[in-house]
Amino acid sequence: MSLDRTLAIAQRLVRQIRRDRRTMALMVVAPVVVLTLIGLSFAERSQVLDFIAPAVLATFSLLFVFLLTGIGFLRERASGTLDRLLATPVGRFDLLVGYLLGFLGFAALQALIILLYTVYVLNVTFRGNLWEVILFLLVLTATSVNLGIFVSTFAHNEFQVMQFIPLLLAPQIFLSGIFLRVGEMPGYLQAIATVLPLRYAVDGLRALMLEGAHLPDVARELAILVGIGVVVLGLASLTVRRV
Amino acid sequence: MSDEQPLAVQVQGMHFGYDGRTPVFQGLDLAVARGVSYGLLGPNGAGKTTLLRLVAGRLKPSRGSVLVLGHTPHPSLTRDIGLMPQSSAVYPELTARENVDFFARMYGMSRRGERRERVEEVLRFVELEERQNTHVSRLSGGMRQRVSLACALVHRPPLLLLDEPTVGLDPELRASFWEHFRSMAGEGTTLLISSHTMDDAAHCDRLAFLRSGRVVAEGSPETLRRATGRPDASLEDAFLHFARQEAGDVSR
Repeated sequence: MSLDRTLAIAQRLVRQIRRDRRTMALMVVAPVVVLTLIGLSFAERSQVLDFIAPAVLATFSLLFVFLLTGIGFLRERASGTLDRLLATPVGRFDLLVGYLLGFLGFAALQALIILLYTVYVLNVTFRGNLWEVILFLLVLTATSVNLGIFVSTFAHNEFQVMQFIPLLLAPQIFLSGIFLRVGEMPGYLQAIATVLPLRYAVDGLRALMLEGAHLPDVARELAILVGIGVVVLGLASLTVRRV
Repeated sequence: MSDEQPLAVQVQGMHFGYDGRTPVFQGLDLAVARGVSYGLLGPNGAGKTTLLRLVAGRLKPSRGSVLVLGHTPHPSLTRDIGLMPQSSAVYPELTARENVDFFARMYGMSRRGERRERVEEVLRFVELEERQNTHVSRLSGGMRQRVSLACALVHRPPLLLLDEPTVGLDPELRASFWEHFRSMAGEGTTLLISSHTMDDAAHCDRLAFLRSGRVVAEGSPETLRRATGRPDASLEDAFLHFARQEAGDVSR
């Protein structure tokens, strides 16, 4: 691995996204609009809002980064720049880690906006530490970057990436205990839920945000998220072939 | 140049097929000496791009060998190779300069001062100095091609692989590209250029006519023209002559 190459890739991504003003604006506006709607619809039932807010935060972090990486990497493949990159001495981990670092900043920024909006505008119960929540979300983001790169292999165009969203996210949204606790679902669905990153993200964030837990208390969830991230990183790296 | 130096590219008995099925090459032989501009001429589907990708190490032959500067393609060998793909393959959101700088870093030029000098030199070479801070998305097709060329040669590779570099360029720009190529070959860079236009072919030191994955003829443009037996034959005539000859051989 080369630090300069990794940094160059991260810087390039930051530049590319920063220059796309509409994407930058949507990054902030979209979650705020959705959160406002959720907030208004549960205005009379703050307990329900408390229950789903951490899940919304986790879902947004996962979805946003998945979209950015999936489409970003797809463009890289389709435009021929990936081929050109792989004809240089760049290593696949330079590439993957570069992507990770490049998107991490934006993901953290978005997570922070959602978090502050949820806590201070929607007045969701918050007993945790802001930075611990952000740190936790970053781990989730890392998993999502790898997932996006991995999925981009199977999609040959933007339409196909879009089709992967319901396929990958709907099961996570419905099976990760966002609406119904995992323990209340049929056994076979619980089995599926054990491999879904969002499930651990939701559990961890609920503990951090609502129960006042600290990072060591959610070490299990963090470890599983890191584990899933490493497995998907391995899979993603297989899809970035030199020869 | 010393005679002991290995060839720039040496392909021997090379077999390759996508998915291991549909064969593209079945026992291809090709030798490219150093410091020449070598044209791979042939119609679409002849295997030109595939051959360049094999030389660049992006594909692996299933049998036989591809030696580049005396070595089997390996990630560390990519430092010595510059690849200009068929599509311009640069980042439209970045400026011309940022694109070249990015690829310079990918090639391992991590020292900033040295890199800045080289990036400027390359941008001057492709005559993009004045537009260096323009986003590539706002540059014309020809300028984009020049950015792409600059990205391929920023690390001073001894071997440059150019896949249809003049496609879509107007005659004036094509002439200026060839001026660049000749000046590089003059400095000892080996250029392996794929093209399907005979206009490009005439500029090369040596040519290989490629058809359905086979070299149907090889030599200098002049030799190939003369081999047709007609004093006024163009390169296009020569290509058709060899293609027909080969088709006859194959059907026999």
